[in-house]
Amino acid sequence: MYGAMKLLTYLSLHARSKGACVVLGACLAAAAHAAIPVGSSNVQIGGFFSQGYLYSSDNNYPTADKGGTWDFREMAFNASTTVGDHLRIGGQVFAQRLGALGADKVVLDWAVLDYNVSPAFGLRLGRVKYPKGLYGEALDLDVVRPYVFLPGAVYSPILRDFSASFDGGMVYGTIEAGRSSFDYKVFYGDIPMSPEKGVAEFYNNSGLYAAPGVAALNMDSVAGGQLTWNTPVSGLKFVYSYSAYRNLATDGPFFAYPPINLHSNFPRFSWNTYSGEYAWNNWVFAAEWQRCGGDINYGAAPLMPTVYDRSGWDGWYAAASRRLNDKFEVGAYYGDLEQRFSARPSSDPVVHQRDTSVSVRYDVNEHLLFKIEAHRIDGVYQTFDTARIPNPAATRQDQTTVFAVKTTLSF
Amino acid sequence: MKNHFLRRLILLALLALAGTPAFAAPVIIGHKGLAAEKLTVASVKAVFLGKKVAWDSGGRVILAVLKGGPVAEDFLKANVEQTASGFNNHWRRLAMTGGGTAPKVFEKEEDLRKFVAETPGAIGFVDSANADASVVVLTPGA
Repeated sequence: MYGAMKLLTYLSLHARSKGACVVLGACLAAAAHAAIPVGSSNVQIGGFFSQGYLYSSDNNYPTADKGGTWDFREMAFNASTTVGDHLRIGGQVFAQRLGALGADKVVLDWAVLDYNVSPAFGLRLGRVKYPKGLYGEALDLDVVRPYVFLPGAVYSPILRDFSASFDGGMVYGTIEAGRSSFDYKVFYGDIPMSPEKGVAEFYNNSGLYAAPGVAALNMDSVAGGQLTWNTPVSGLKFVYSYSAYRNLATDGPFFAYPPINLHSNFPRFSWNTYSGEYAWNNWVFAAEWQRCGGDINYGAAPLMPTVYDRSGWDGWYAAASRRLNDKFEVGAYYGDLEQRFSARPSSDPVVHQRDTSVSVRYDVNEHLLFKIEAHRIDGVYQTFDTARIPNPAATRQDQTTVFAVKTTLSF
Repeated sequence: MKNHFLRRLILLALLALAGTPAFAAPVIIGHKGLAAEKLTVASVKAVFLGKKVAWDSGGRVILAVLKGGPVAEDFLKANVEQTASGFNNHWRRLAMTGGGTAPKVFEKEEDLRKFVAETPGAIGFVDSANADASVVVLTPGA
Protein backbone atom coordinates (compact mmCIF):
# COMPACT_ATOMS: atom_id res chain seq x y z
CA MET A 1 0.00 0.00 0.00
CA TYR A 2 2.64 2.51 1.09
CA GLY A 3 4.88 1.55 -1.79
CA ALA A 4 2.13 1.96 -4.38
CA MET A 5 1.04 5.36 -3.07
CA LYS A 6 4.65 6.48 -2.84
CA LEU A 7 5.14 5.48 -6.47
CA LEU A 8 2.02 7.39 -7.50
CA THR A 9 3.15 10.48 -5.62
CA TYR A 10 6.66 10.27 -7.02
CA LEU A 11 5.46 9.87 -10.58
CA SER A 12 2.93 12.67 -10.39
CA LEU A 13 5.35 15.12 -8.81
CA HIS A 14 8.66 14.32 -10.44
CA ALA A 15 8.39 12.10 -13.47
CA ARG A 16 7.65 14.54 -16.28
CA SER A 17 10.02 13.19 -18.86
CA LYS A 18 9.50 10.83 -21.75
CA GLY A 19 12.03 8.50 -20.16
CA ALA A 20 10.00 8.24 -17.00
CA CYS A 21 6.94 7.38 -19.06
CA VAL A 22 8.86 4.60 -20.76
CA VAL A 23 9.81 3.28 -17.31
CA LEU A 24 6.20 3.47 -16.26
CA GLY A 25 5.17 1.60 -19.40
CA ALA A 26 7.78 -1.06 -18.71
CA CYS A 27 6.46 -1.43 -15.16
CA LEU A 28 2.96 -1.89 -16.50
CA ALA A 29 4.09 -4.44 -19.04
CA ALA A 30 6.05 -6.35 -16.42
CA ALA A 31 3.12 -6.28 -14.03
CA ALA A 32 0.75 -7.46 -16.73
CA HIS A 33 3.09 -10.32 -17.54
CA ALA A 34 3.17 -11.35 -13.91
CA ALA A 35 -0.35 -12.79 -13.72
CA ILE A 36 -2.70 -10.07 -12.66
CA PRO A 37 -4.32 -9.09 -10.32
CA VAL A 38 -1.35 -7.77 -8.39
CA GLY A 39 -1.37 -6.40 -4.89
CA SER A 40 -2.10 -7.41 -1.36
CA SER A 41 -5.57 -8.37 -0.20
CA ASN A 42 -6.63 -4.81 0.53
CA VAL A 43 -4.78 -2.93 -2.19
CA GLN A 44 -5.72 -2.99 -5.84
CA ILE A 45 -3.47 -1.73 -8.55
CA GLY A 46 -4.28 -1.39 -12.21
CA GLY A 47 -3.42 0.51 -15.31
CA PHE A 48 -2.88 0.43 -19.02
CA PHE A 49 -0.41 1.30 -21.72
CA SER A 50 -1.43 1.95 -25.29
CA GLN A 51 0.44 2.81 -28.47
CA GLY A 52 -1.21 3.74 -31.70
CA TYR A 53 -0.59 4.98 -35.20
CA LEU A 54 -2.61 7.73 -36.86
CA TYR A 55 -2.79 8.51 -40.53
CA SER A 56 -4.73 11.33 -42.17
CA SER A 57 -5.03 11.66 -45.93
CA ASP A 58 -5.47 15.45 -46.07
CA ASN A 59 -6.01 17.52 -42.95
CA ASN A 60 -4.25 17.29 -39.64
CA TYR A 61 -7.11 15.91 -37.58
CA PRO A 62 -7.46 15.37 -34.69
CA THR A 63 -3.80 16.27 -34.41
CA ALA A 64 -0.74 16.55 -36.65
CA ASP A 65 -1.12 13.19 -38.41
CA LYS A 66 -1.14 14.00 -42.12
CA GLY A 67 1.01 11.31 -43.70
CA GLY A 68 1.09 9.32 -40.45
CA THR A 69 2.41 9.61 -36.91
CA TRP A 70 3.31 7.30 -34.04
CA ASP A 71 2.81 10.14 -31.56
CA PHE A 72 -0.32 8.56 -30.22
CA ARG A 73 -0.12 6.82 -26.84
CA GLU A 74 -1.56 6.80 -23.35
CA MET A 75 -0.57 5.24 -20.08
CA ALA A 76 -2.00 5.11 -16.60
CA PHE A 77 -1.25 3.50 -13.29
CA ASN A 78 -3.63 3.42 -10.34
CA ALA A 79 -3.80 2.12 -6.80
CA SER A 80 -6.62 2.09 -4.30
CA THR A 81 -7.47 0.64 -0.93
CA THR A 82 -10.30 0.59 1.57
CA VAL A 83 -10.28 1.83 5.15
CA GLY A 84 -13.05 0.57 7.39
CA ASP A 85 -16.50 -0.23 6.09
CA HIS A 86 -17.25 2.88 4.05
CA LEU A 87 -14.06 4.72 3.08
CA ARG A 88 -12.01 4.11 -0.05
CA ILE A 89 -8.94 6.04 -1.15
CA GLY A 90 -7.09 5.85 -4.42
CA GLY A 91 -5.44 7.68 -7.25
CA GLN A 92 -4.21 7.37 -10.82
CA VAL A 93 -1.40 9.00 -12.76
CA PHE A 94 -1.82 9.42 -16.48
CA ALA A 95 0.33 10.45 -19.43
CA GLN A 96 -0.64 11.03 -23.02
CA ARG A 97 0.78 12.05 -26.35
CA LEU A 98 -1.60 13.03 -29.12
CA GLY A 99 0.63 14.65 -31.69
CA ALA A 100 2.02 17.76 -30.04
CA LEU A 101 -0.50 17.56 -27.19
CA GLY A 102 0.22 15.92 -23.88
CA ALA A 103 3.96 15.45 -24.47
CA ASP A 104 3.99 12.27 -22.33
CA LYS A 105 3.81 14.47 -19.26
CA VAL A 106 2.69 12.52 -16.21
CA VAL A 107 -0.24 14.15 -14.47
CA LEU A 108 -2.48 13.22 -11.60
CA ASP A 109 -5.63 12.00 -13.36
CA TRP A 110 -7.73 11.31 -10.30
CA ALA A 111 -7.15 10.98 -6.57
CA VAL A 112 -10.12 10.55 -4.30
CA LEU A 113 -11.35 10.02 -0.79
CA ASP A 114 -14.67 8.25 -1.28
CA TYR A 115 -17.03 7.82 1.65
CA ASN A 116 -20.03 5.69 0.69
CA VAL A 117 -22.61 6.05 3.45
CA SER A 118 -25.26 3.97 1.70
CA PRO A 119 -26.37 3.20 -1.86
CA ALA A 120 -28.40 6.41 -1.69
CA PHE A 121 -25.60 8.72 -0.60
CA GLY A 122 -21.85 8.95 -0.99
CA LEU A 123 -19.27 11.72 -0.96
CA ARG A 124 -16.16 11.86 -3.14
CA LEU A 125 -13.47 14.48 -2.56
CA GLY A 126 -10.22 15.26 -4.34
CA ARG A 127 -9.48 15.17 -8.05
CA VAL A 128 -12.67 13.54 -9.29
CA LYS A 129 -13.56 12.24 -12.75
CA TYR A 130 -15.87 14.67 -14.55
CA PRO A 131 -19.31 13.17 -15.30
CA LYS A 132 -20.45 14.33 -18.73
CA GLY A 133 -22.51 12.13 -21.00
CA LEU A 134 -22.35 8.34 -21.10
CA TYR A 135 -18.59 8.02 -21.30
CA GLY A 136 -17.10 11.26 -19.93
CA GLU A 137 -15.63 9.54 -16.89
CA ALA A 138 -14.12 6.76 -19.01
CA LEU A 139 -12.57 8.76 -21.85
CA ASP A 140 -9.32 6.77 -21.79
CA LEU A 141 -10.64 3.27 -21.26
CA ASP A 142 -9.95 1.41 -24.46
CA VAL A 143 -10.92 -1.86 -22.82
CA VAL A 144 -14.58 -0.97 -22.50
CA ARG A 145 -15.34 -0.13 -26.14
CA PRO A 146 -14.46 -1.10 -29.71
CA TYR A 147 -13.67 2.46 -30.80
CA VAL A 148 -10.23 4.06 -30.89
CA PHE A 149 -11.85 7.49 -30.65
CA LEU A 150 -15.14 8.17 -28.97
CA PRO A 151 -17.42 10.19 -31.27
CA GLY A 152 -15.74 13.59 -31.57
CA ALA A 153 -19.08 15.38 -31.91
CA VAL A 154 -19.55 14.91 -28.16
CA TYR A 155 -16.11 13.79 -26.91
CA SER A 156 -13.51 16.01 -28.57
CA PRO A 157 -10.11 14.28 -28.36
CA ILE A 158 -8.51 17.74 -28.20
CA LEU A 159 -10.37 18.50 -24.99
CA ARG A 160 -9.39 15.29 -23.17
CA ASP A 161 -7.06 16.98 -20.69
CA PHE A 162 -9.70 19.64 -20.04
CA SER A 163 -12.64 17.27 -19.61
CA ALA A 164 -11.14 14.40 -17.63
CA SER A 165 -11.43 15.53 -14.02
CA PHE A 166 -11.95 18.45 -11.67
CA ASP A 167 -10.68 19.37 -8.22
CA GLY A 168 -13.49 19.50 -5.71
CA GLY A 169 -16.26 17.35 -4.37
CA MET A 170 -19.17 15.28 -5.59
CA VAL A 171 -22.14 13.70 -3.88
CA TYR A 172 -23.67 10.68 -5.54
CA GLY A 173 -26.14 7.90 -4.98
CA THR A 174 -28.95 5.75 -6.29
CA ILE A 175 -32.64 6.15 -5.55
CA GLU A 176 -34.79 3.09 -6.12
CA ALA A 177 -38.19 3.76 -7.69
CA GLY A 178 -40.11 0.55 -8.23
CA ARG A 179 -38.65 -1.26 -11.22
CA SER A 180 -36.59 1.80 -12.11
CA SER A 181 -33.75 3.50 -10.34
CA PHE A 182 -32.13 6.90 -10.60
CA ASP A 183 -28.39 7.51 -10.19
CA TYR A 184 -27.48 11.07 -9.34
CA LYS A 185 -24.23 13.01 -9.15
CA VAL A 186 -23.85 16.64 -8.09
CA PHE A 187 -20.45 18.27 -8.08
CA TYR A 188 -18.55 21.51 -7.58
CA GLY A 189 -14.91 22.44 -8.06
CA ASP A 190 -12.54 23.82 -10.63
CA ILE A 191 -10.44 22.52 -13.50
CA PRO A 192 -6.72 23.28 -13.51
CA MET A 193 -5.79 24.67 -16.92
CA SER A 194 -2.64 25.68 -18.74
CA PRO A 195 -1.63 26.78 -22.26
CA GLU A 196 -0.20 23.30 -22.89
CA LYS A 197 -3.65 21.76 -22.75
CA GLY A 198 -5.69 21.04 -25.82
CA VAL A 199 -8.35 23.59 -24.90
CA ALA A 200 -5.80 26.31 -25.72
CA GLU A 201 -6.12 25.36 -29.39
CA PHE A 202 -9.70 26.65 -29.43
CA TYR A 203 -8.32 30.10 -28.52
CA ASN A 204 -5.17 29.90 -30.65
CA ASN A 205 -7.31 29.00 -33.65
CA SER A 206 -9.26 32.26 -33.29
CA GLY A 207 -6.34 34.24 -34.70
CA LEU A 208 -6.62 36.82 -31.93
CA TYR A 209 -3.41 35.81 -30.15
CA ALA A 210 0.11 36.31 -31.43
CA ALA A 211 2.62 33.46 -31.27
CA PRO A 212 3.17 31.49 -29.11
CA GLY A 213 -0.54 31.84 -28.37
CA VAL A 214 -2.72 32.12 -25.32
CA ALA A 215 -0.55 32.46 -22.20
CA ALA A 216 -2.97 31.89 -19.33
CA LEU A 217 -6.30 30.12 -18.87
CA ASN A 218 -8.34 29.83 -15.72
CA MET A 219 -11.86 29.52 -14.38
CA ASP A 220 -13.52 30.39 -11.11
CA SER A 221 -15.45 27.17 -10.82
CA VAL A 222 -17.23 24.27 -12.48
CA ALA A 223 -20.53 23.04 -11.13
CA GLY A 224 -22.98 20.51 -12.42
CA GLY A 225 -24.76 17.25 -12.11
CA GLN A 226 -25.84 14.09 -13.83
CA LEU A 227 -29.06 12.13 -13.58
CA THR A 228 -29.32 8.58 -14.94
CA TRP A 229 -32.66 6.86 -15.30
CA ASN A 230 -32.19 3.11 -15.28
CA THR A 231 -35.49 2.19 -16.90
CA PRO A 232 -37.59 -0.93 -16.21
CA VAL A 233 -36.45 -2.20 -19.61
CA SER A 234 -33.36 -4.27 -18.98
CA GLY A 235 -30.26 -2.58 -20.43
CA LEU A 236 -31.96 0.70 -21.32
CA LYS A 237 -30.92 3.93 -19.63
CA PHE A 238 -31.20 7.63 -20.24
CA VAL A 239 -28.79 10.22 -18.90
CA TYR A 240 -28.90 13.99 -18.58
CA SER A 241 -25.68 15.83 -17.76
CA TYR A 242 -25.28 19.51 -17.05
CA SER A 243 -22.24 21.52 -16.10
CA ALA A 244 -21.20 25.14 -16.27
CA TYR A 245 -17.96 27.02 -15.89
CA ARG A 246 -17.95 30.43 -14.25
CA ASN A 247 -15.56 33.04 -15.60
CA LEU A 248 -13.64 30.93 -18.08
CA ALA A 249 -10.96 33.49 -18.87
CA THR A 250 -7.81 33.76 -20.98
CA ASP A 251 -4.94 36.19 -21.47
CA GLY A 252 -2.25 36.42 -24.10
CA PRO A 253 -0.42 38.64 -26.58
CA PHE A 254 -2.75 40.53 -28.92
CA PHE A 255 -2.02 39.53 -32.53
CA ALA A 256 -2.00 43.16 -33.83
CA TYR A 257 0.39 44.39 -31.18
CA PRO A 258 1.84 41.61 -28.98
CA PRO A 259 2.96 43.87 -26.08
CA ILE A 260 -0.74 44.48 -25.41
CA ASN A 261 -2.69 41.80 -23.55
CA LEU A 262 -5.90 40.42 -25.02
CA HIS A 263 -8.30 39.28 -22.33
CA SER A 264 -11.35 37.09 -22.94
CA ASN A 265 -14.00 35.84 -20.58
CA PHE A 266 -17.02 33.58 -20.66
CA PRO A 267 -18.97 34.65 -17.57
CA ARG A 268 -20.79 31.35 -17.94
CA PHE A 269 -20.05 28.48 -20.35
CA SER A 270 -22.50 25.60 -20.07
CA TRP A 271 -22.77 22.00 -21.31
CA ASN A 272 -26.07 20.15 -21.71
CA THR A 273 -25.87 16.52 -22.76
CA TYR A 274 -28.80 14.17 -23.36
CA SER A 275 -27.86 10.51 -23.71
CA GLY A 276 -29.44 7.13 -24.24
CA GLU A 277 -27.89 3.68 -24.23
CA TYR A 278 -29.44 0.29 -24.82
CA ALA A 279 -27.44 -2.88 -24.15
CA TRP A 280 -29.23 -5.83 -25.69
CA ASN A 281 -27.57 -9.24 -25.75
CA ASN A 282 -24.18 -8.56 -27.35
CA TRP A 283 -25.27 -5.25 -28.88
CA VAL A 284 -24.80 -1.77 -27.47
CA PHE A 285 -26.70 1.11 -29.07
CA ALA A 286 -25.93 4.64 -27.96
CA ALA A 287 -26.91 8.14 -28.98
CA GLU A 288 -26.11 11.51 -27.46
CA TRP A 289 -26.89 15.13 -28.19
CA GLN A 290 -24.88 17.92 -26.66
CA ARG A 291 -25.17 21.69 -26.70
CA CYS A 292 -22.48 23.92 -25.27
CA GLY A 293 -21.75 27.59 -25.33
CA GLY A 294 -22.03 30.94 -23.68
CA ASP A 295 -21.62 34.67 -24.05
CA ILE A 296 -18.04 35.82 -24.44
CA ASN A 297 -16.41 39.21 -24.14
CA TYR A 298 -12.90 40.00 -25.28
CA GLY A 299 -10.81 43.08 -25.76
CA ALA A 300 -7.27 44.45 -25.86
CA ALA A 301 -7.41 47.90 -24.30
CA PRO A 302 -6.58 50.47 -25.44
CA LEU A 303 -6.26 49.18 -29.02
CA MET A 304 -9.42 47.08 -29.21
CA PRO A 305 -12.57 47.89 -27.27
CA THR A 306 -14.39 45.02 -25.60
CA VAL A 307 -16.42 42.93 -28.03
CA TYR A 308 -19.50 41.03 -26.86
CA ASP A 309 -20.26 37.85 -28.76
CA ARG A 310 -21.58 34.31 -28.37
CA SER A 311 -19.77 31.03 -29.00
CA GLY A 312 -20.59 27.35 -28.83
CA TRP A 313 -21.53 24.27 -30.78
CA ASP A 314 -24.06 21.44 -31.05
CA GLY A 315 -23.01 17.84 -31.49
CA TRP A 316 -24.76 14.51 -31.73
CA TYR A 317 -23.99 10.96 -32.72
CA ALA A 318 -25.57 7.54 -33.04
CA ALA A 319 -23.45 4.45 -32.46
CA ALA A 320 -23.86 0.69 -32.53
CA SER A 321 -21.42 -1.98 -31.49
CA ARG A 322 -21.59 -5.73 -31.30
CA ARG A 323 -19.38 -8.28 -29.60
CA LEU A 324 -19.14 -11.16 -32.05
CA ASN A 325 -17.30 -13.59 -29.80
CA ASP A 326 -14.55 -13.65 -27.18
CA LYS A 327 -12.08 -12.24 -29.69
CA PHE A 328 -13.87 -9.79 -31.95
CA GLU A 329 -16.05 -6.72 -31.45
CA VAL A 330 -17.17 -4.34 -34.17
CA GLY A 331 -18.64 -0.87 -33.99
CA ALA A 332 -19.71 2.06 -36.10
CA TYR A 333 -21.01 5.56 -35.55
CA TYR A 334 -22.06 8.70 -37.31
CA GLY A 335 -21.51 12.04 -35.63
CA ASP A 336 -22.36 15.60 -36.57
CA LEU A 337 -20.79 18.69 -35.02
CA GLU A 338 -22.18 22.10 -35.94
CA GLN A 339 -21.04 25.58 -34.99
CA ARG A 340 -23.69 27.71 -33.32
CA PHE A 341 -24.19 31.44 -33.82
CA SER A 342 -22.70 31.42 -37.32
CA ALA A 343 -24.04 33.47 -40.21
CA ARG A 344 -22.97 30.70 -42.59
CA PRO A 345 -25.43 27.93 -43.55
CA SER A 346 -24.87 24.56 -41.93
CA SER A 347 -24.05 23.11 -45.36
CA ASP A 348 -20.85 25.20 -45.35
CA PRO A 349 -17.96 22.86 -44.52
CA VAL A 350 -16.42 25.57 -42.32
CA VAL A 351 -19.22 25.22 -39.77
CA HIS A 352 -19.75 21.48 -39.66
CA GLN A 353 -17.84 18.26 -39.11
CA ARG A 354 -19.60 15.02 -40.03
CA ASP A 355 -17.76 11.88 -39.08
CA THR A 356 -18.59 8.37 -40.30
CA SER A 357 -16.53 5.74 -38.52
CA VAL A 358 -16.13 1.96 -38.44
CA SER A 359 -14.02 0.01 -35.94
CA VAL A 360 -12.85 -3.54 -35.35
CA ARG A 361 -11.42 -4.72 -32.04
CA TYR A 362 -9.48 -7.93 -31.49
CA ASP A 363 -8.79 -9.23 -27.99
CA VAL A 364 -5.64 -11.32 -27.91
CA ASN A 365 -6.39 -12.14 -24.28
CA GLU A 366 -8.00 -10.35 -21.37
CA HIS A 367 -5.03 -7.97 -21.07
CA LEU A 368 -4.04 -7.21 -24.66
CA LEU A 369 -6.16 -5.85 -27.49
CA PHE A 370 -5.79 -4.39 -30.95
CA LYS A 371 -8.09 -1.95 -32.72
CA ILE A 372 -8.33 -0.61 -36.22
CA GLU A 373 -10.61 2.24 -37.20
CA ALA A 374 -11.43 4.36 -40.24
CA HIS A 375 -13.07 7.78 -40.36
CA ARG A 376 -14.47 9.72 -43.28
CA ILE A 377 -14.77 13.30 -42.11
CA ASP A 378 -16.76 15.86 -44.04
CA GLY A 379 -16.23 19.51 -43.08
CA VAL A 380 -13.48 21.35 -41.27
CA TYR A 381 -15.17 22.74 -38.17
CA GLN A 382 -12.74 22.31 -35.24
CA THR A 383 -10.02 21.34 -37.68
CA PHE A 384 -7.60 23.86 -36.22
CA ASP A 385 -4.84 25.84 -37.79
CA THR A 386 -2.37 26.45 -34.99
CA ALA A 387 1.33 25.97 -34.36
CA ARG A 388 0.69 22.52 -32.85
CA ILE A 389 -1.99 21.45 -35.33
CA PRO A 390 -1.19 23.20 -38.62
CA ASN A 391 -3.84 23.29 -41.34
CA PRO A 392 -3.06 26.29 -43.57
CA ALA A 393 -6.06 27.45 -45.59
CA ALA A 394 -4.11 26.86 -48.80
CA THR A 395 -3.86 23.11 -48.20
CA ARG A 396 -6.92 22.41 -46.07
CA GLN A 397 -9.47 20.13 -47.72
CA ASP A 398 -13.20 19.92 -47.08
CA GLN A 399 -12.95 16.18 -46.55
CA THR A 400 -10.34 13.96 -45.01
CA THR A 401 -9.90 10.29 -44.20
CA VAL A 402 -8.32 9.20 -40.95
CA PHE A 403 -7.07 5.71 -40.08
CA ALA A 404 -6.16 4.69 -36.55
CA VAL A 405 -4.61 1.52 -35.21
CA LYS A 406 -3.98 1.03 -31.55
CA THR A 407 -2.90 -1.65 -29.14
CA THR A 408 -3.60 -1.52 -25.43
CA LEU A 409 -2.15 -3.53 -22.60
CA SER A 410 -4.26 -3.30 -19.46
CA PHE A 411 -4.30 -4.89 -16.06
CA MET B 1 -39.34 -44.83 -42.35
CA LYS B 2 -40.42 -41.40 -41.08
CA ASN B 3 -40.93 -42.71 -37.52
CA HIS B 4 -37.55 -44.37 -37.60
CA PHE B 5 -35.94 -41.08 -38.61
CA LEU B 6 -37.73 -39.22 -35.79
CA ARG B 7 -36.66 -41.79 -33.21
CA ARG B 8 -33.04 -41.40 -34.31
CA LEU B 9 -33.35 -37.63 -34.14
CA ILE B 10 -34.75 -37.75 -30.59
CA LEU B 11 -32.04 -40.17 -29.56
CA LEU B 12 -29.38 -37.86 -30.97
CA ALA B 13 -30.89 -34.90 -29.14
CA LEU B 14 -30.90 -36.82 -25.85
CA LEU B 15 -27.29 -37.85 -26.39
CA ALA B 16 -26.35 -34.24 -27.10
CA LEU B 17 -28.07 -33.10 -23.91
CA ALA B 18 -26.35 -35.80 -21.92
CA GLY B 19 -23.02 -34.61 -23.26
CA THR B 20 -23.66 -30.98 -22.34
CA PRO B 21 -22.06 -29.93 -19.06
CA ALA B 22 -25.19 -29.32 -17.05
CA PHE B 23 -25.58 -26.99 -14.08
CA ALA B 24 -28.58 -26.65 -11.84
CA ALA B 25 -28.90 -22.96 -11.06
CA PRO B 26 -26.63 -20.26 -9.67
CA VAL B 27 -27.06 -19.43 -6.01
CA ILE B 28 -25.70 -16.58 -3.94
CA ILE B 29 -23.27 -17.68 -1.29
CA GLY B 30 -21.88 -15.66 1.57
CA HIS B 31 -19.51 -15.92 4.48
CA LYS B 32 -21.23 -17.48 7.48
CA GLY B 33 -21.14 -14.12 9.24
CA LEU B 34 -23.72 -12.89 6.71
CA ALA B 35 -26.36 -15.45 7.70
CA ALA B 36 -28.52 -12.76 9.35
CA GLU B 37 -28.19 -10.30 6.43
CA LYS B 38 -31.54 -9.48 4.83
CA LEU B 39 -31.11 -9.26 1.08
CA THR B 40 -33.62 -8.04 -1.47
CA VAL B 41 -33.53 -8.24 -5.24
CA ALA B 42 -32.57 -4.55 -5.31
CA SER B 43 -29.86 -4.89 -2.69
CA VAL B 44 -28.29 -7.86 -4.49
CA LYS B 45 -28.07 -5.74 -7.63
CA ALA B 46 -26.65 -2.82 -5.62
CA VAL B 47 -24.04 -5.10 -4.05
CA PHE B 48 -22.85 -6.59 -7.33
CA LEU B 49 -22.78 -3.21 -9.09
CA GLY B 50 -20.67 -1.68 -6.30
CA LYS B 51 -23.35 0.72 -5.06
CA LYS B 52 -23.71 -0.95 -1.68
CA VAL B 53 -20.25 -1.29 -0.11
CA ALA B 54 -21.10 -2.12 3.52
CA TRP B 55 -23.38 -4.72 5.11
CA ASP B 56 -26.30 -3.61 7.26
CA SER B 57 -24.94 -5.84 10.01
CA GLY B 58 -21.50 -4.22 9.72
CA GLY B 59 -18.41 -4.97 7.69
CA ARG B 60 -17.31 -4.22 4.17
CA VAL B 61 -18.79 -6.01 1.16
CA ILE B 62 -16.16 -8.20 -0.49
CA LEU B 63 -17.27 -9.31 -3.93
CA ALA B 64 -16.21 -12.59 -5.50
CA VAL B 65 -17.22 -13.40 -9.06
CA LEU B 66 -16.54 -16.04 -11.66
CA LYS B 67 -14.53 -14.96 -14.67
CA GLY B 68 -17.10 -16.27 -17.12
CA GLY B 69 -19.04 -19.33 -18.18
CA PRO B 70 -22.70 -20.31 -18.08
CA VAL B 71 -23.07 -19.93 -14.29
CA ALA B 72 -21.77 -16.36 -14.45
CA GLU B 73 -23.87 -15.51 -17.50
CA ASP B 74 -27.03 -16.89 -15.88
CA PHE B 75 -26.43 -15.22 -12.54
CA LEU B 76 -25.53 -11.82 -13.97
CA LYS B 77 -28.40 -11.79 -16.42
CA ALA B 78 -30.91 -12.71 -13.72
CA ASN B 79 -29.60 -10.50 -10.92
CA VAL B 80 -27.68 -7.62 -12.51
CA GLU B 81 -29.33 -7.52 -15.95
CA GLN B 82 -25.95 -7.60 -17.68
CA THR B 83 -23.89 -10.00 -19.75
CA ALA B 84 -20.57 -11.15 -18.31
CA SER B 85 -18.84 -8.87 -20.81
CA GLY B 86 -21.00 -5.90 -19.79
CA PHE B 87 -20.41 -6.65 -16.11
CA ASN B 88 -16.63 -6.78 -16.63
CA ASN B 89 -16.77 -3.44 -18.45
CA HIS B 90 -18.85 -1.92 -15.66
CA TRP B 91 -16.20 -2.85 -13.09
CA ARG B 92 -13.30 -1.84 -15.29
CA ARG B 93 -14.88 1.59 -15.59
CA LEU B 94 -15.40 1.90 -11.85
CA ALA B 95 -11.96 0.63 -10.86
CA MET B 96 -10.11 2.73 -13.44
CA THR B 97 -11.98 5.95 -12.72
CA GLY B 98 -11.98 6.00 -8.94
CA GLY B 99 -15.52 4.70 -8.60
CA GLY B 100 -15.07 1.40 -6.81
CA THR B 101 -13.00 -1.57 -5.71
CA ALA B 102 -13.13 -4.34 -8.28
CA PRO B 103 -14.36 -7.82 -7.32
CA LYS B 104 -12.04 -10.75 -6.76
CA VAL B 105 -12.23 -12.86 -9.90
CA PHE B 106 -12.01 -16.65 -9.89
CA GLU B 107 -11.68 -19.22 -12.62
CA LYS B 108 -13.04 -22.11 -10.56
CA GLU B 109 -16.14 -22.27 -8.40
CA GLU B 110 -14.29 -24.29 -5.75
CA ASP B 111 -11.73 -21.49 -5.33
CA LEU B 112 -14.47 -18.87 -5.14
CA ARG B 113 -16.38 -20.86 -2.51
CA LYS B 114 -13.21 -21.32 -0.46
CA PHE B 115 -12.48 -17.58 -0.62
CA VAL B 116 -16.03 -16.71 0.47
CA ALA B 117 -15.88 -19.22 3.31
CA GLU B 118 -12.61 -17.76 4.61
CA THR B 119 -13.28 -14.04 4.08
CA PRO B 120 -15.60 -12.12 6.42
CA GLY B 121 -18.02 -9.98 4.41
CA ALA B 122 -17.49 -11.96 1.21
CA ILE B 123 -20.35 -12.72 -1.16
CA GLY B 124 -20.34 -14.52 -4.50
CA PHE B 125 -22.22 -16.99 -6.61
CA VAL B 126 -21.73 -20.60 -7.66
CA ASP B 127 -23.77 -23.37 -9.14
CA SER B 128 -26.10 -24.74 -6.43
CA ALA B 129 -24.37 -28.11 -6.67
CA ASN B 130 -21.16 -26.45 -5.49
CA ALA B 131 -22.57 -24.69 -2.43
CA ASP B 132 -21.66 -26.60 0.71
CA ALA B 133 -21.80 -26.13 4.47
CA SER B 134 -18.70 -23.93 4.54
CA VAL B 135 -20.80 -20.99 3.29
CA VAL B 136 -24.37 -19.76 3.67
CA VAL B 137 -26.75 -19.65 0.75
CA LEU B 138 -28.41 -16.25 0.66
CA THR B 139 -31.87 -15.97 -0.84
CA PRO B 140 -33.08 -12.47 -1.64
CA GLY B 141 -36.58 -11.54 -0.55
CA ALA B 142 -38.98 -9.43 -2.56
